[in-house]
Amino acid sequence: MNFRILSFTLFAPLAGALLTMVIPREDVRTIRRVGTAFAFLTLVLTTVVWIGVIQIGPGEIQYAERHPWIPAFNVQYSIGVDGLSAPMLFLTALLTTLSLFYSAHAIEARVKEYYFLFLLLETGLFGSFLALDLVLFYVFCEVGLVPMFLITGVWGGERREHAAIKFFLYTLIGSVLMLLAIIGVYLQTGTFDVMEAAEIGPFSSPEQWQVACIVFWALLIAFAIKIASFPFHTWLPDVHTEAPTAGSVMLAGIVLKLGAYGLIRVALPLFPQPFHHFTVQVPVIPVVAVVSIVYGALVCMAQWDLKRLAAYSSVPDMGYVLLGVCATAAGLPQLSTSEALNAAAAGLNGAAMQMFAHGIVTGGLFFLVGILHQRTRTYDLKTFGGLAAQTPYIYGFTIMAGFAALGLPGLAGFWGKFLTFRGTARFIPTAAFVGVLGLVFTAGGILWKLIQQVFLGRLDKRKWGRLKDMTWWEKATMWPLVLATVLLGLYPTPVLSSFNAALTTLLQELP
Amino acid sequence: MTFEISMRALGQTLWLLSPELALLLAGLFALGLQAVGPRLEEKRWPQCTVLTGLIVALILTITLWGHQAQTFSLLVHDPFAQVIKTVALITTGILVLTSDSYIESHDKHKGGFYALLIFSTLAICLLGGATNLILSFLALELLSITSTLLIGYLRQDGRSTEAALKTFLYGTTLSAMTLYGISWIYGLTGSTDLHRIAIATQTTGDFLYPTLLLALIFIVAGLTFKIGAVPFHHWAPDAYEGAPTPVTAFLSTGPVIGGTATMIRVLLTAFPPEMERLAMDWQTLLMAVTTLTMTVSNLAALKQPNIKRLLAYSSIAQTGYLLIGVITASPGGVTGTLFYLMAYVLSNLGAFAVAVSVSRDEDGGSLENYAGLHKRAPALAMAMTMCLFSLAGIPPTAGFVGKLYLFSAAIRKGLLWLAIVGVLNSVLSIACYWKIIRAMYILPAQSGERLSIPLTLAAALSVTAISVLVVGILPGPLSTLVETAAQAILGQP
Repeated sequence: MNFRILSFTLFAPLAGALLTMVIPREDVRTIRRVGTAFAFLTLVLTTVVWIGVIQIGPGEIQYAERHPWIPAFNVQYSIGVDGLSAPMLFLTALLTTLSLFYSAHAIEARVKEYYFLFLLLETGLFGSFLALDLVLFYVFCEVGLVPMFLITGVWGGERREHAAIKFFLYTLIGSVLMLLAIIGVYLQTGTFDVMEAAEIGPFSSPEQWQVACIVFWALLIAFAIKIASFPFHTWLPDVHTEAPTAGSVMLAGIVLKLGAYGLIRVALPLFPQPFHHFTVQVPVIPVVAVVSIVYGALVCMAQWDLKRLAAYSSVPDMGYVLLGVCATAAGLPQLSTSEALNAAAAGLNGAAMQMFAHGIVTGGLFFLVGILHQRTRTYDLKTFGGLAAQTPYIYGFTIMAGFAALGLPGLAGFWGKFLTFRGTARFIPTAAFVGVLGLVFTAGGILWKLIQQVFLGRLDKRKWGRLKDMTWWEKATMWPLVLATVLLGLYPTPVLSSFNAALTTLLQELP
Repeated sequence: MTFEISMRALGQTLWLLSPELALLLAGLFALGLQAVGPRLEEKRWPQCTVLTGLIVALILTITLWGHQAQTFSLLVHDPFAQVIKTVALITTGILVLTSDSYIESHDKHKGGFYALLIFSTLAICLLGGATNLILSFLALELLSITSTLLIGYLRQDGRSTEAALKTFLYGTTLSAMTLYGISWIYGLTGSTDLHRIAIATQTTGDFLYPTLLLALIFIVAGLTFKIGAVPFHHWAPDAYEGAPTPVTAFLSTGPVIGGTATMIRVLLTAFPPEMERLAMDWQTLLMAVTTLTMTVSNLAALKQPNIKRLLAYSSIAQTGYLLIGVITASPGGVTGTLFYLMAYVLSNLGAFAVAVSVSRDEDGGSLENYAGLHKRAPALAMAMTMCLFSLAGIPPTAGFVGKLYLFSAAIRKGLLWLAIVGVLNSVLSIACYWKIIRAMYILPAQSGERLSIPLTLAAALSVTAISVLVVGILPGPLSTLVETAAQAILGQP
């Protein structure tokens, strides 16, 4: 269709943000309604786009738009969507809508700026997933960073300023490294378009191996910082803990995924040989992934602060994503056999599924943490106990989110982990052996700290005897996520086939 | 016959020089107003005169576009000169708007203030086109004198006078050094014209090389002083802090434009990259200067409690980026420098316009002025944030595109480490600007009342903030323009 649906989707939140600017700041109800309405509009649009992509063909880039932007550098406004980015777009829109809906009752101060920044954040995130031009990708990543940093800094908890600036500087260092790597790729291939550059294959000749490795590491470090992989994970607990509830949801749900998406879309196609080298010959990346998984799960289990626990739970989950991608990289030389191709696709699909499912599950988890905090005013796990009888709804939802987070079959979190380990076991089995330990530790952490400490055991009637269960709007926020979790766990095919088509194309184009 | 030809030549010359003449006349008129009648000053005649002069000069510059000519073999009118002129004129225009309300609150010497601004713009325009070292030096001196007088504008304020004295002493010493270097160049090459110098140095024997290099170092030293680059930057923080805030805005933009233009022209015309040995030497020198500038200033800015001083140090750091483009000595590098110059000037003007709005009383820009600005004046806070992000190089602002140009040019020339230093300093500068952003958005306001912004200041702010964003999103037209200018410099015979 000639109607530029992608640009429309991309700039719809921006239009909403600008609209909220003109509403007087005292008219809080209109601001909330307009903001949530625009977010809902994007939800509808991204669903339409996703369905369209599935119908037309998720293996190829659809609805592509291309305009020259900075001709001197051959930088283009080039956006498009395929089976990999469409679900991520949908996830962004879903989480934004739910966040804004929840925030209508949670945020009381400076509502206008909050909604403005949130919609701006959505634009930045959309752009990152839609961009096919590397500079555009960088620009939109940064555009997404700034509102996140301000949201944390203004509406966050006690140490919010420290957390905000730490987050911003840490991620910025990674981003500027990525910028230099992107410039290097451009100077080598003459284009900033990620598909074209991948075809040309920057620094692929043997003499340029050193340079290729350096540029690859710049990219990898940038993405590793973004997904909070060990050892670049130290910004994660601070920001997630201090951000407001909806901010944490967006952070853990989407912003973390930017790095993962970048790994699959940018790092793997552009530098398959260095990726393979550092996975198999010099196995740095699998070690990093496995340490993220195991160590992250252990640290998560050790937390006595509920929000920090939820925050740390993202570290092993992103470790699975990294593991899945490097499993595929490890299998690169053997891709000619269909059996190996299957396993490599499984690894990559696992990474993508884990991205998607983690967004839903962790989004729900952070909402629940926020809901609990709003009543109890504390995150301290030692003070909780026995809330199952007092607040059964919260208990029920947390069970769903918690079990999904630890990868119980039948819920969303299972498929990503299963497929990742399928791929890893085929190509880098040692990593798989050690990695599954992480599953056990995560389960321990969730069952012990999240479920037993909070909900089981004795109820402190003096403190929590009056605790109210979930209100209608909190339930309305959580139901979509829980339903999605169950649906995705029982019937992952729509999402999985979408990912699979796009990722198979990607794999087939790798040399 | 000859009389006709010479009259025509004279007419031609006057036509080519018309922008500068317009500026001169406007400045003299503004000065004269001071003598003629103080009542005229109250009716904002100096401002109007000056703005008219600037607009006329701008129109004339645009009309003269595309004329490739030389005047008296001293001044050349190529795209580079024209771009520099346009930038300088627009900068001064925005400065006049910014300082309007500030100057109104002081009752003396208003005409003098604007006249000095115009004369310094005249100096910058001359610097853009000067192809003779003597003319460059004269213009640099004019710029120095007017800048010093502007710094010392608040005669009752001790800090202002002290700053002016410091700048004067520092500046005269370095000007003397520059002149000394020029005299050596003349002695070695027999000319002060840039092209002849290039030809002569190519045929110079090796035994004269150290002398040539020393002379070059002297000249570069003087130019780095003008820009405010390390190690000749010590005058800048005191000057920036002591001067009235509109003058600080001028100091961070005007001399930087002039100094960069001169540096590009002198280094790339008289000592072009074809002369490999010499070029490598001045490039290495500049690499050291730029690295130190960016890093030292950013680190110093982290510790400043006074916002004016913080902005001063960080402006110095940003000028380091300009030198990256000069070092690469390639069309891409010069394009990058010119583009970043424009982005830097716009962003700085915006930031200082906000500084003028919030710090009306002469407390030198303490942090309390910015506290809670999002409530007292949300547009100001947003404009300031946008300008600061542009200075740091965060997309989608003009500063980001400029830095993209610069880093690409640097990496293309194999100076990866310089690009890395550059990007890390961008991150460091955000750490410096965080103080201001935090104050504006997170700290509670001292008083809840809204800040009123005079119309001229609002106009200046909107122009800068909006253009920072627009240039960042649609950099195409500006970049084509700047490329033509770069070609003019490097494509010269």
